[in-house]
Formats: sequence, C-alpha cells, structure tokens
Amino acid sequence: MPSAIPTFLGILTAGTLLAGAAFAAPACEPAKVAEKYPAIAGKTVVFGYDPSIPPYAIIDDKDKTKVSGSDIDLAKAVFDCLGVKYELKPGAWPGLFPAVVSGQIDAMFYLYYTPKRAEQGDFITFMKAGSGAIVQKGNPKNIKAEADLCGKTVSAGLGTVEERQMKTLGEKCVASGKETIQVMTSTDAPSGFRLIATGRADAMVIDLPLINMMVKRNPDVYSVGYSVISDYQIGGAVKNGNPLGPAIADAIQALQASGKVKEIFATYGIDPAVEIPATLKTE
Amino acid sequence: MDFLSQVLGYFTSGFLWDGAVLAVEITACSIVLGFILGLGVALLRMSRLTAVRAGAWFYIWLMRGTPQLLQLVFIFDALPAIGLKFDSFTTAVIAFSLSEAAFAAEIIRGGILSVNPQQGIAASSLGMGPATTLRRIVLPQALRSILPALAGNAIGMLKMTSVASVIFVSELTFRSQQIVGQTFEFFTVFTGAAMIYLVLTSVISAIQAYLEHALDPERSRGGVKGYGFLDKILPKRSVATPAKVGKSAAPAVSAADRSELVRKLLADSVKPSSTDEEPLIVCRRLWKSYGDRDVLKGIGLEVNRGEVVAVLGPSGSGKSTLLRMINHLETLDEGEITIGGRYVGYAKKDGKLVPTSGRAQARAEVGVSMVFQNFNLFANLTALENIMEAPIRVHGVPRDEAEKMARQLLATVGLSGHADHLPHHLSGGQQQRVAIARALAVKPRVMLFDEPTSALDPELVGEVLSVMRSLADAGMTMIVVTHEMNFAREVADRVVFFDEGEIVEQGRPEDVLDSPTKERTRRFLNRLGGEAEASEG
Repeated sequence: MPSAIPTFLGILTAGTLLAGAAFAAPACEPAKVAEKYPAIAGKTVVFGYDPSIPPYAIIDDKDKTKVSGSDIDLAKAVFDCLGVKYELKPGAWPGLFPAVVSGQIDAMFYLYYTPKRAEQGDFITFMKAGSGAIVQKGNPKNIKAEADLCGKTVSAGLGTVEERQMKTLGEKCVASGKETIQVMTSTDAPSGFRLIATGRADAMVIDLPLINMMVKRNPDVYSVGYSVISDYQIGGAVKNGNPLGPAIADAIQALQASGKVKEIFATYGIDPAVEIPATLKTE
Repeated sequence: MDFLSQVLGYFTSGFLWDGAVLAVEITACSIVLGFILGLGVALLRMSRLTAVRAGAWFYIWLMRGTPQLLQLVFIFDALPAIGLKFDSFTTAVIAFSLSEAAFAAEIIRGGILSVNPQQGIAASSLGMGPATTLRRIVLPQALRSILPALAGNAIGMLKMTSVASVIFVSELTFRSQQIVGQTFEFFTVFTGAAMIYLVLTSVISAIQAYLEHALDPERSRGGVKGYGFLDKILPKRSVATPAKVGKSAAPAVSAADRSELVRKLLADSVKPSSTDEEPLIVCRRLWKSYGDRDVLKGIGLEVNRGEVVAVLGPSGSGKSTLLRMINHLETLDEGEITIGGRYVGYAKKDGKLVPTSGRAQARAEVGVSMVFQNFNLFANLTALENIMEAPIRVHGVPRDEAEKMARQLLATVGLSGHADHLPHHLSGGQQQRVAIARALAVKPRVMLFDEPTSALDPELVGEVLSVMRSLADAGMTMIVVTHEMNFAREVADRVVFFDEGEIVEQGRPEDVLDSPTKERTRRFLNRLGGEAEASEG
C-alpha cells in the first residue's frame, strides 16, 4: 500500500503537534464539570456498545450482567474524568452508529473514521486500525496478503469498513484480470469466525486485536493470514455538533497523558503502538 | 456429559431467561395490538369506499413488503428527526404491532370471507347492526378458522424479536450471542437458547389449543371427538339448561294449539290497531335494475293487515327481489315502499327516496322479519341461541325473558328437544322451523318468506308449511314467494303472479290458479303441472 505512506506520515506529524498542544490542558477535573462543560453537566450520557465483540466489550463469565473490555474501560475512565453520569446500553453493532446519529444514544467507541461518516457524526480519533485476515489453521489457501484474497470467499462484519474494502478490492481483482471476491457478510464477529472454522469462508477480514485474541485462544483452529496497520483511524463518535465531542477529546488526551489509555490497551492485548493523540474530527 | 451439563446450564441461565422474558413481553403486546389494528385494517380493506380500500391495501403492501429490521431502525432512528423519540421497548412493540397488523389483516379478512355471508344478511334482516353482527356472528366463526394462522404469526414474531437487537433490545438471541462473544462456545449456548425458544413456542401452541377449544361451538353441546384430553382439564362452557331430550321425545303440537300459541306470543304485533283500514304494506311504482337489466318494472302492491299473499312466477321474474326490497335488503332505484306508513331505511329528499344509515334498526322498528330459502341460521349458535340473539341484542330483552320466549317459540315449531343443538346437527326442515321461530322472536308485524321450502327434501316440506299455516291462522301478515301450489291455494288470501319484473295477474287463489286470464300465467301453471306429474311418474 504505497499510497498509505504519505498519509501515515501526515498523521504522525499532526499527532506530534497535537500532543504538544495537549500539554496545556490535559487533566481530569470531574469536580469542575459545570464550569468546564456546562452543556453536558448534570446529564446522563448514554454510551452504546455491542457486548459480543471481544476484546472491546465482553460480558463477564460469572456475572453476565457485568461488562468489560477496552471500550468499556475507556468509556468509564472518560466519563469519570469528565465528571458526568453515564449509562451503558447494549445493542447490536449495526444499530449503534444510526442510534448515535438519531440521538437515541450519545456516544460509541471504536468506529472507523471516514469523511463520509463524519458528515453524520463527529469523531474523536485516538488509535490507528490494525486489520488482517484470520484463516484456518495452517493457512490452507495460502492467504499472505490482501492481493491473495482475489477469487476467495471472504467474510466481513456487516457495516464495517472491511466489508466495503472487500467490495472495492473485488473490483480491483477483476480489473487486474483475477476473479472477484465472494463477500459473506456476518452480523457479528463470532459468526464470522465460525465461517472460517467450518470452511465456509476462506478468510475473515477484521480488526487485528480481535484476530490475535482469537488465534491465541484457539490455536488448533485458526491462524493469522496477514496483518497490516492501516491508515484508518479509529475513535469515538457522537452526533454532529454534540458538545460531548470536544469534552471526550479533552478527557482522552488527559488519559493518554496519564498513561491510562496504554494501561487499558495492555490489559486487553492491544498493541500500544496503535495509539495516536486524541483529535476531534468534525468533517 | 460435559456437553449436556453445559447446555443445561445455559438453558437455566437467568441471563438468557431475562432476554426470553423480554421477547415474550414484546410478542404478547404486539400480537394483541396487532390483532386489534389488523381487524381494523381488514374491515377497511372490505369497505365500500374505494379510497378507504386502497388505503388499507397500501398499508398492507408497505408493511408486508418491507423487512422488519428496516421498520425497526426507521422508527428508532428516523422518527427522532421529526420529534418522535421512542425507547427501545416501545419501538419494538410499535414496529412489531404495525407489521403484525398487516399480516393479521389479511388473515382476518380471509376468516371473515370464509363465513357464509348469508348469515350476515339474516342478522341484518333481524335488525342486528353491522357491528353486532360482526362481534356476535361473524368473528366467533372467523376466529376459530384463523387461530392456527395467528398462532403461527405469534411464534414467528417471538423468534423475530431477535432482530430488535439493533435497536438495543437485549433479547434472547442477542444475549446468547453475547455469551458466544465471551466463550466462543457457540454450540452449547445456542442449543440452550433453542431449548428456551422451544419452551416458549410450546406455550403459544398450548394457548392456541386452548383457544381453539374454547371457541369450538360443539364443546359441551353434544360431545365432539378429538379433544378428549382438553375436555378433561378445561371447564365446561355453561349452557342454560341442557335438554337431554331425544328427537322422538319432541312433544307433538296440534295445528290448533300451535295457532293459539302463536297468537299469544304475538299478541302485540298481530293485534289490530287504529290504522287497520290502511294497507300495512304499500309499494308504489317500484323500479330496480342490475346494470342494463330491469328486474322490477314499476311494481305496485298493497298488502292488508292479516293478509297472506302468495307470490308465484318463474325463476328470475323478480319475486325475491321484491321481497328483499320490502325490508330493504336491496335498495330501490325508483318508487317507494312503506310499512305501516313508514319508510324502512330511507328518507325523502327532493321527492326521491334516499337510503339512510341504520337500516337494520329501521327494520326492527317497523317490525318486518324474513325467512330465507337456505335458512341462514347462525352456525356458531344453538337453535335456542339463534332465536334469543336478536331480542337480546336489538330489542334489549332481558336474557331470561328472551330464553323463556325462545323456548316457547321452539315448542310452537315442535322443536323443544333441539334447543341446544347447533344448526348443522338439524335437518333442513328443522333448520327452517328454527329460522321461522327466530324471525318471530322479534315480534314482527310482517313476515316475508323467500321460497322457504325450495331447499328442502320433499318429505320435509310438510312440517315447514304446517308451521306457516298456523302463522296465517294466527293472523300474521305474510308475503310468501313459493312454488307450493297447494299451499298457495289453501292458505293464501291472494295470489300474485309475477313475470319479467311485472305483476301479470293477481286475485283470489282459485281464480288465478284455476282460471287464469293471462296467457303467461297459463303457460307457467301448465309447465309447473307438467313438472309435478313428471316427478310423480
């Protein structure tokens, strides 16, 4: 992906600048919420998540009403840092962003930033996307790079960036004289993994930490086909113009400065290298 | 047995059952609301107004034709833009109800169409309004036949609630997916969840069986086979006083006794009044056409109080149409009809009669009853209930009083032993006698008979005619469309001969039948005589 390199550098530069700017303000002052964020003070923030996607949100093995995961821990840290009350609301992944846009929920995490999505919501990016392909143990179809997916049956999550990537990649395959990609869309990650285990799909393209966790837990079933740190940025999303957006950006900057974000990433096996300085993106 | 214990663990998991309860709550609310809405849509779909029908059709087309998932997301995420923000549960109930309404509407419509519409006409002729008829006669019969389909919808909906996870409804399937997200052991989790679904759908099936049983008119009315198990565990439906009288035990009523009984029962309606000199029924210049065909061409007919008029004529000559116009089952094109000086369901506007609403009520007020060729008894009610229905629902007669009168009427027509029998357990002759009793129960001033014996086996004709004869003897005003020459000759005060929408000839029976003056009458009578001989030979 040669075209990704300049963008990548650009992000690094912007990140450095922002990290510098963040020095001025990053501090959690929950007691001062009314003063710092009058628009959100006293409100209960509704945070939506899909509790079937490890390691970002998973229900507790023992007490199934409890939920943990990197998104959940970070959300708790952010809202505690801001000093607002919050409610965690479980829902299926495809419904989360529409609910943010319609105002049914206030915020969600771990959404890939795209300019098109930013037309509907404001983003607070704080990490880069690692993505890859999970395949059957031993990689029988020899999928070692994106280009190897041509002519294969590939699963991707409904409404994910990977799903759309696969569709454009399929067109590229055809343009270069290869067969297109058969995309099998799965509504949740575990059902996509099952497609690999049963051989119904040759690979599933999905978020890298999820692949790493899955392969670690089931080394007899899965292998990593390939992995890339992409130029995609991931972050939280709020409705356009929601004053919660800048507040979350401030809070994450503060948590990044204090090392809390790295700590959470480490807890859930996410490579700390993907972290980038929190930035509010309104378009 | 690790597998089994795991499955059992999930099957008994409170976390999953919480989701199941949520699914059940949504399904229960939506099925009930959906049915009520669906009934409304079904009725609109059968409206006489094209625009209303089209609207109902469009609704069904839209809701059945779009995915449930999209409807949910639309209501949850699009309506907030116009200020309608519902929570997850409310959204789910609204979306599933609206969708169910569309499916239920067509099922209900099918059920209503499956009920013989003649029963509705009979109810209307007894003065029962459309709403009463729907509630008491049509729906109970329709419901029974559509229950299996509705239960199927309920089961489908229970499982379909899983798509509501996109609007943050954390129901059973979504919860099992969450467990899978945690353990990646999908097989045991989903098996446990499937077992929970099976338990729930079994409950729906049991409710279906119970309702089918409860709606079965045969239950406790002569013993029906096939529900042995349910009969044991369910309470019997109470029937006033179950008469355990066999057919042979029916008391024989002599013709004279019967006339006396009828006279007593109908004391009010048959009693002469001050307007006695005026004809009771007056038809003037009646015109009626169906499309290009003129069915009635300027008919004039007057019937006096206590008079029995027999209407004869070939099939399609307009006899039945005349009868149905007198009690306004058919609307006239031109001319006018009065009974006791009143229009039945018309108002005069610029010299023309215009139909008004509340036609059934008008019939009840004027006091005109009708007996049909095919009896048209209410199939879901016993003989006794058939007779009691209109007095209770239309005339507000107290139940015990209505029952007392109904039993007297049944005795009058010689069917005391069949009070608790459903119509389809009665012979044609018995059904027609119940129909006559039913028509008498509203204490009419006029009885219209539309070929009352034409659908009967020859050996059953006599019993019906004998009942009609006693009515005539009791002084009832009657118009009888018939092919029974002997009845016309012996019972009628006047015979009217109809052909091609016109009265060809009328007069005393012996004059018209024995020495007709018109060629058309003669030809008809010859033909009838020939047929009679042929059937005898």
